[in-house]
Amino acid sequence: MNNSISMKKSERITSTIKFLFLLIFGIVLMMPFIWMVSVGFDREANISMPFPPRLIPESISSFNYGIVFENGRLLQSYINSGIVTVSSVILGVSSSLLAGYAFSKGKFKGKKILFLIVLCTLMIPMEPRLIPLYKLFNSVGLLNTFWPLILPHLISGMLIFLCKQFFDQLPDTLREAAQIDGAGEFKIFFRVYLPLAGPIAATMVILAFIWSWNDFLWPLVVLNNLDLHTVPLYLASFSLENGSSLGGLTMALATVSILPIIIVYLFLQRYIIQSIALSGVKGE
Amino acid sequence: MENNSIDAERNTSPTPVSVNAITNAKVKKKNKRNSQWAWYIFLLPSFLGIILFMAYPVIESLRLSFYKSNGTIETFTGLDNFRNVLTSRPFWNSVWNTFFIGIFQVIITIPLGFIFATLINSVTRGKNFFKVIYFLPNVTSIVAAAMIFQFVFHPEMGIVNFVLDTFGFPTPGWFSDPSTSKWGIILLAVWHWIGFVIIICLANLQAIPTEMYEAAKIDGASGIQQWLFITIPNMTGTFAFLLITGWIGALQRFNEVYVIGGPNGSPARSIQTMGAFIYERGFTGFEFGIASAATYVMFIIILIFTFINLKVSKIKI
Repeated sequence: MNNSISMKKSERITSTIKFLFLLIFGIVLMMPFIWMVSVGFDREANISMPFPPRLIPESISSFNYGIVFENGRLLQSYINSGIVTVSSVILGVSSSLLAGYAFSKGKFKGKKILFLIVLCTLMIPMEPRLIPLYKLFNSVGLLNTFWPLILPHLISGMLIFLCKQFFDQLPDTLREAAQIDGAGEFKIFFRVYLPLAGPIAATMVILAFIWSWNDFLWPLVVLNNLDLHTVPLYLASFSLENGSSLGGLTMALATVSILPIIIVYLFLQRYIIQSIALSGVKGE
Repeated sequence: MENNSIDAERNTSPTPVSVNAITNAKVKKKNKRNSQWAWYIFLLPSFLGIILFMAYPVIESLRLSFYKSNGTIETFTGLDNFRNVLTSRPFWNSVWNTFFIGIFQVIITIPLGFIFATLINSVTRGKNFFKVIYFLPNVTSIVAAAMIFQFVFHPEMGIVNFVLDTFGFPTPGWFSDPSTSKWGIILLAVWHWIGFVIIICLANLQAIPTEMYEAAKIDGASGIQQWLFITIPNMTGTFAFLLITGWIGALQRFNEVYVIGGPNGSPARSIQTMGAFIYERGFTGFEFGIASAATYVMFIIILIFTFINLKVSKIKI
């Protein structure tokens, strides 16, 4: 009796210690964000960063944010990123839904080899394709447009793979029933299976969105025109120009660029975390 | 379904079964051929993508690596580019940097992330809260993160050195000193990747059957014993997976070192990765041949590790 009570007590103590430990380390992890927001509001942080670091600025002002919005470049880069990402997601998710469905339910010659080819694309990184793709888009005069950022998303081995696995779990009997009614393959896909693919489509949209939004190396190569810069490109060019000066402005800029993503993440966190865990792909 | 149709035939026309069966088969065959066509149309967009944006560039890149090229004029030079790359000190320096940062990122983050995952898993309150908080860095783009970390690790005004100084530790120069800049990148990588490791570990921790723990409890195993003898052996597959994805990602590191050190990975090329070397040669120097050869060396390194990956994960199954 006495024993079990003391055990409960010690259990509660260890649980509290664990909780506090997680909380403290969580705050350490959040520190760069907290500091970022604070410095962004600090009027004096541009000439030299306030030292020792302070959590609450001496003179709170929205001066830095004012400049960030007045400049307009960030807003423009948001629009650019939006156009590129939405188009890439639509393109990539639709082509992968079609292919994933065919690889799951289709019966045709060469299915195994074709699927193997798709899996092989998973092993091909961007770097060896960089120069030929650059030359390819250059030769058709599409450098400094959004097309080179969008079109390569036509193929995504990972999305096809996830999609195939999802359709594998759906029964074939649905197909057979529709076939008896005389429906063609396209009709079966669009009327029967696509409406059931909501969950996997959502996962695919989330993943494709993260990949496209964070794309950096390839856009850096193709886009020289400042007016076309996506958000990561704009941030990088700003940062390279100013190094570690203009702290207040840099932090305000970082805040404005990160905040919308964090808000979306907080609303969709369950789905985003599930999607990442499912694909096991680095969200970068 | 077949049974049904046969039954239907028997009911309606009992005599000419064989004739019916033949026409039926013909119709089926025709249908089959039609539907085969349909499947290829389903695959068309993706395979158009594979041909244009995967197969062609990979082959063209191999061809280019045998040429001296600046984008317009090409002359065949055989293996010169490879010789050039493989004897170039900046290239091996970039390989060293990439490996150094990658190795420490992986061996720090995986154990640390796993410990945090088990803690989060065992905590009774705030499980989801911690999950969300710890994953937050991974959601922010690494470019923005690198921008912030330039200030976090600022030698004079950054919070890291402030904290170190307060506790009486020496304050390194981080990104302004070639001997410590790699560690700055490693810590940034740990910060950014740990959420991913935690999420993957948590998903797999929750998949370990609870009966195993119950049985161990009955046998009187302590919490730490359970952790050592049940949790860790059950997680080896997860560790292998994280090791490989982390390592392959690390081999392709570019974004953060570009933001912090530019294409040549300053200070003194100390953080120039393989990706940055390729970018520098290909797109600031426009030496397409040399850059292509370097990408192929890098590609082969990545492929080797991918195959090790497949081997390791096979062993697990």
